[in-house]
Amino acid sequence: MTDDAADVRRVLSGDVDAYAALVDRYYDQCARYAVRMLGNRDDAEDALQATFMRAYRALGKYQERDKFSAWLYRILVNQCRSLAARRSQRDKVFVREEAVLLNATDERATPGWSGEDEEFVQRVLSELDPLLREAFLLKYIEELSYEEMSALTGVGVSALKMRVKRAADRLRERWERIKHD
Amino acid sequence: MTEPGLDPQDPYVEWIAREARRPVELAPDLRARIMDAVRATPLPARPRRGLGWFTAPRPLALSPLTSSLLAAGLVGIGVFAGLTLTHRDGRSPAEQPVAVAAHPQLPGSDSVQVHEFVLQAPTASAVSLVGDFNDWSETATPMTRTADGKWVATVKLPVGRHVYAFVVDGATGAKWMPDPAALQAPDDGFGTPNSVVLVGHGNAT
Repeated sequence: MTDDAADVRRVLSGDVDAYAALVDRYYDQCARYAVRMLGNRDDAEDALQATFMRAYRALGKYQERDKFSAWLYRILVNQCRSLAARRSQRDKVFVREEAVLLNATDERATPGWSGEDEEFVQRVLSELDPLLREAFLLKYIEELSYEEMSALTGVGVSALKMRVKRAADRLRERWERIKHD
Repeated sequence: MTEPGLDPQDPYVEWIAREARRPVELAPDLRARIMDAVRATPLPARPRRGLGWFTAPRPLALSPLTSSLLAAGLVGIGVFAGLTLTHRDGRSPAEQPVAVAAHPQLPGSDSVQVHEFVLQAPTASAVSLVGDFNDWSETATPMTRTADGKWVATVKLPVGRHVYAFVVDGATGAKWMPDPAALQAPDDGFGTPNSVVLVGHGNAT
């Protein structure tokens, strides 16, 4: 039995604190995806909190033949989709101040890391269509296989490959524009 | 990096990916807030082995133990018995000895009415009903398959507006989906659209 499955069983047996081990194990990875996907810290925190709460409520539904990480990620991806859609209605413009806030901690934590690069990266990611951004992040930041991505998103492998390619094309076009500005 | 699909001649895309893989930091107290919220939430339902418990005929509405405890007048047992009845109504309406459970139009009381949820999903291996009335538990209200591929659950709901969805187990795993025959609820931020049912105002859905 994996650590994850053991922790799930402990939670279902009444040991709520075992859930903290699951949260700790996947927090950083989920936080990174949420921030990169949503582009701001407030929404990412909302997504993370809702993801772990929904996973907790549905824990009885989790089946050990599935990887817990994949199951949790499916919830996270759906949360981020929903928040991204809501945010795009609310505010289509990337707010520079949010990026500065987002990077304030990283700058201190990593000497020599200017934070400007990350701000720039966050901005160009935010300019991508959400579905392209999602596919790009799952492929190149979370480094999932297309089969894993397909299981996670419910989207076919060929469509996902197309999205990743289009995302890379958009990023390349963006780079070309900057070079010529 | 050697992942398929990434052009190795594309240093800019590679650079973006590398930068985006750096860790991020959110509010330092977020983990603690998440666990506080978890501790304030009822324990998730334990998984059940199959649906036999729900579909087997159960002629008794109350167990002798429950009845005797009720007779003893213990506080709180009435609530438990009420929940038990609701679950049985939801899981096996045709076998219910209580007339009200077999008749979706008949109000259970002034403040509670019986509502039947139906989803056409002939290829699903299991379907459950989740909503604000069962704390969005995917295990609390499994639906029963009919011979013509419909999935049915009958539950007692307080009069008013309720938000719900179906969890459909199919070839690609469990999937949350709204009721295609109902109004869609405003996005709640939980990732999948939900539906709305209005109970008790002469308008079932």
